[in-house]
Amino acid sequence: MPYYFSFRSIYPYLGDLAAAAQATLLLSVLAIVLSVAIGSGVALMRRSDSRLLRFTGGLYVEVMRNTPLLVILYIVYFALPQLGLRMSPFNSALIGLTLNSAGYMAEIIRAGLVAVPPGQFEAAASQGFTRVQLYRHIVLPQVFRTIYAPLGNQFIAVILASSLASAVAVEEVASWMQTVGSSSFRFFETFVIAAVVYLVLCQIVNLGRIAIGRWLFRQPEAYR
Amino acid sequence: MSAQLLTYMPLLLKAALVTIWLSWLALLIGAVGGTLIALARMSTFLPLRLLALLFTEFFRSIPILIVLFFVFFGMPLVFGIDLSPFTATTVALALHASSTMSEVIRAGLESVGKGQWEAARAAGMTYWQMMRHVIVPQALRVILPPSVGVYIATLKESSLASIIGYVELTKTGLLIRETMGSSFVPLLLLALIYFLINYGISLGGAALERRFHVNTRLMTAGAGQ
Repeated sequence: MPYYFSFRSIYPYLGDLAAAAQATLLLSVLAIVLSVAIGSGVALMRRSDSRLLRFTGGLYVEVMRNTPLLVILYIVYFALPQLGLRMSPFNSALIGLTLNSAGYMAEIIRAGLVAVPPGQFEAAASQGFTRVQLYRHIVLPQVFRTIYAPLGNQFIAVILASSLASAVAVEEVASWMQTVGSSSFRFFETFVIAAVVYLVLCQIVNLGRIAIGRWLFRQPEAYR
Repeated sequence: MSAQLLTYMPLLLKAALVTIWLSWLALLIGAVGGTLIALARMSTFLPLRLLALLFTEFFRSIPILIVLFFVFFGMPLVFGIDLSPFTATTVALALHASSTMSEVIRAGLESVGKGQWEAARAAGMTYWQMMRHVIVPQALRVILPPSVGVYIATLKESSLASIIGYVELTKTGLLIRETMGSSFVPLLLLALIYFLINYGISLGGAALERRFHVNTRLMTAGAGQ
């Protein structure tokens, strides 16, 4: 039996798609913001003078990078309620996604910090900079330049990874594809639409990163 | 409770082997596919280059899960091809792995200086002789270490097979969770098993990196670069 490609048969589900795309977007944006914050903390831990903090930070990164996100999502979704922590599927997916992504963010940010020559820390200290001034004016601008590209790739990775939230009952784009596909038998069309949604989201981040990067890191007038 | 868990250990270990086999197979197919795509990306024929670029960008910009859904649920409807959960997962993982591997392999091939390609040509080598004796031995040093990373990623992604009901490591953990009626211990054990496997592989990868680093240095020193 030949398969007739027909978008018309999934028109009725397009309203759900808008809600699903919103969920994907919200989940990704929140996870990105939170994991950058937590990742920065872990990166600083890994550079701390305290051996215990360094070890804990390193352990966190290794655990998150070597365990499947799906297993972490299941732990948050199934095991935390057993300890009395009940939450919505969306929140548990957000926690799992954030914990996982923070491990990668920490490594990216740490690589950025390592790239700042130690002499600069000493020079700033000798100039009487406070710690905040040191980071604000000397370290962070350089770190930002180094981590800019890998950070963009990690943002895309988070958007793609948010699809696993469908496994813990969050109604986002991947679960939209699955539900609509199985109720209308239109898996090809739903696949094409879901793929387009993810492609657009990822390429916005990708092309946006390149365009903003060109503008941010343009050469000053005098050196051109 | 832990005694009960102990009785499930053989089951988990067997499932771990299934996971390792599944991801290894996907990586191998991905390496072959990735090589072809990398060569297409470096071809002088523009349409071929564009097609390869499209393939890589496409599979890097969509989640593996929706590819898996399409391969497993969609292929039987659209093309009349019925795939087992194992085959469907292998295909989805291999598609993704070949897009990643093509970038790794391209970086490896491009790391071999242009002069080497020209010199091999000038020495009258055929394409295969040049690849076999000049390009590939040098490119492999750049390709192997990141391939270990791709393998770890593929191994983690193979957990998605549990979503379409294939009994590998993650699904086994979920089944044990259901029989035991307790989530915490089995799922934590599941995470631990994955961690040990992947951490072991990454240690091997780090050793490989160190070894090749030394070799690369010696090689360039010998070549007087």
